[in-house]
Amino acid sequence: MLRVENLTKIYPGGTQALKNVSFEVKDGEFLVIIGLSGSGKSTLLRCINRLIEPTEGKITWDERDITAASPKELLKIRRNIGMVFQQFNLVKRSSVMTNVLSGRLGYANPWLSVLGIWLSADRERAIKALERVGIGDKASSRADALSGGQQQRVGIARALMQEPRIVLADEPVASLDPVLSHSILQYLEQLNKDGITVLCSLHFLDLVHRYATRVIALKDGVLVFEGLPQEINRAKFKEIYGEEAQEVRATSFEAPA
Amino acid sequence: MKNRPSIWRIALTTLLIAAGVVIIGYSSRVTKIDFVRLFKDAPKAKSLISAILSPDLVTRDLQTTTIEIAFPIPCGSAPNATPITSGPHLTTSVPCASVKDTFTLEGFSLSPNAQIAIRWQIPTIGSLTLPYANTDANGHFTMQLDAKQIAASTNNTASFIQVDTRIPVGNMKPSQAVNDVLQAMFVTIFMALLSTSIATIIAVPLSFLAASNITRHGPVGTTVYYLTRSFFNLIRSYDPLVMATVFAFWLGFGPFPGTLALMVVTTASLGKMFSEAVENIDPGPIEALQATGANRLQTIVFSVIPQIVPDFVSYTIYHWDINIRISTIIGFVGGGGIGYYLSTQINSMIGYHKAGTAIWAIVAVVWAMDFLSAEVRKRLA
Ligand SMILES: Nc1ncnc2c1ncn2[C@@H]1O[C@H](COP(=O)(O)OP(=O)(O)OP(=O)(O)O)[C@@H](O)[C@H]1O
Ligand SMILES: [Mg+2]
Repeated sequence: MLRVENLTKIYPGGTQALKNVSFEVKDGEFLVIIGLSGSGKSTLLRCINRLIEPTEGKITWDERDITAASPKELLKIRRNIGMVFQQFNLVKRSSVMTNVLSGRLGYANPWLSVLGIWLSADRERAIKALERVGIGDKASSRADALSGGQQQRVGIARALMQEPRIVLADEPVASLDPVLSHSILQYLEQLNKDGITVLCSLHFLDLVHRYATRVIALKDGVLVFEGLPQEINRAKFKEIYGEEAQEVRATSFEAPA
Repeated sequence: MKNRPSIWRIALTTLLIAAGVVIIGYSSRVTKIDFVRLFKDAPKAKSLISAILSPDLVTRDLQTTTIEIAFPIPCGSAPNATPITSGPHLTTSVPCASVKDTFTLEGFSLSPNAQIAIRWQIPTIGSLTLPYANTDANGHFTMQLDAKQIAASTNNTASFIQVDTRIPVGNMKPSQAVNDVLQAMFVTIFMALLSTSIATIIAVPLSFLAASNITRHGPVGTTVYYLTRSFFNLIRSYDPLVMATVFAFWLGFGPFPGTLALMVVTTASLGKMFSEAVENIDPGPIEALQATGANRLQTIVFSVIPQIVPDFVSYTIYHWDINIRISTIIGFVGGGGIGYYLSTQINSMIGYHKAGTAIWAIVAVVWAMDFLSAEVRKRLA
């Protein structure tokens, strides 16, 4: 159980990206976060693993206080929270294998790992992770030699190396075309069925309806909706995205087929 | 009225053109431009250019054979030489002579087209060298000689006229110039290598201090960032040659101040280039690795280093390439290495063929470094 209480983030420039956000995520949920660009989705996801330091509020995970964790504890906590990014965030010049193995750094011996020495068990785990996302044959390719969809699968494999209990996915399919979007989200769905809690920000309503078990919506940093995907109809959508945005967004936010 | 240019415009334009002509005329006078001389004096450059085109590359061992003939001065002071008529031999027009007489020396059956050294071998005094001569295609030469007082016989012993012929024997081998040039070239290449590698070692940590994405956080970081950056810009504005002259003030000329100057300038130049490479890295992978629970060092090793290494290596090789050229020039003004060798040979007037060897060596090395650095940079891209 992940509990977010009164989370507020004010950036140094003065932008208030999150305002008093509170919600809970039960183990095994596929929680989708929606909201306009700039509404605070990325900020929220990054506060959970403290890539961004919250200004105020508390995040607890199974009674562990993430917001109060010491730097050392934080590394331990992050080990169990995988993260997948819109831009994949792979090291482009490194091999796929190295990229996947780097997901294991939190477990590996710090000194041996920086010398590039890995346990054979970790290597086997990496191959398995790649096979699980269907690109076992790409281990020795350079990351930037892969297509976008393949790169995102490497990103998922890297997260799998962490033996995560939560995966945070920040618009994982926003850089991909619709067909690839489904294939990537299906991998996340599979992880979710295997018991991993998923928090994922998405832009397309049909994807929300298809994959979410629960939805929260942000508007200007404020939590404006929390409920089941079916509850989001056009009226709700208008409320979340604002009157003016409707025309722009209506095309991408089609009602589910 | 509108379409006609005003008188003032015409006057102004004329004035500007006149001013331009005056400026160019004056500057060509102070720089002593004289294109006529460029062609008129072309023959002066001929010997240098032909020397460059025929560099001193190979040599053969020389074997010296000496033949001699006794020549009493004055007649009767010692026995005349017994005439020889076969094999390499010398004859004189008269068997003996009085002081101040002139006679002809002839040589037969010597090696053809060879340079020969001729001298008087005078008892109790030693040898007196005479001008060099050359044999013709038949191995023959003639030379007018004076019967000098100094060559007079002593104690019934006549002076001898000796002739050395040097003939090349054995295989061609690299000449002394080639050996010297190679040695000097090594000095230059290592001067550049040493200054570039030390500069790289210093520039790597400094470049992180001058990278805004790494250092420019908080008042201390911002101060350090600006200080390092200003240091780079200040040093970079000095030419390595000027810097070498400055160092030479207290270190004297030689390879050391040159290397030091190159090192300082290269540190600043590489530091600037490295810091730009660090600023251009993609922050995404850093964020991704932090998210996995990797510690700081692991994050840098796995996400920052792979992104900067190719740029760092290619900039370093590029600078090594440049520094070989610069250290050649620093050498020219007294900094040792190939540049110094070249300037010595050119100034010596007789070393033009050796200068040619040096010039070709410089061309070869610069070309090779150019190729190597382009190749490495291509591989790293
Ligand atoms: N590092 C930062 N410094 C200052 N302001 C920031 C920073 N990152 C984000 N913001 C601001 O915080 C607000 C929320 O940004 P955030 O990236 O969380 O939104 P988002 O919902 O993820 O948007 P998008 O859909 O475009 O990714 C925006 O107004 C943004 O400009
Ligand atoms: Mg975002």
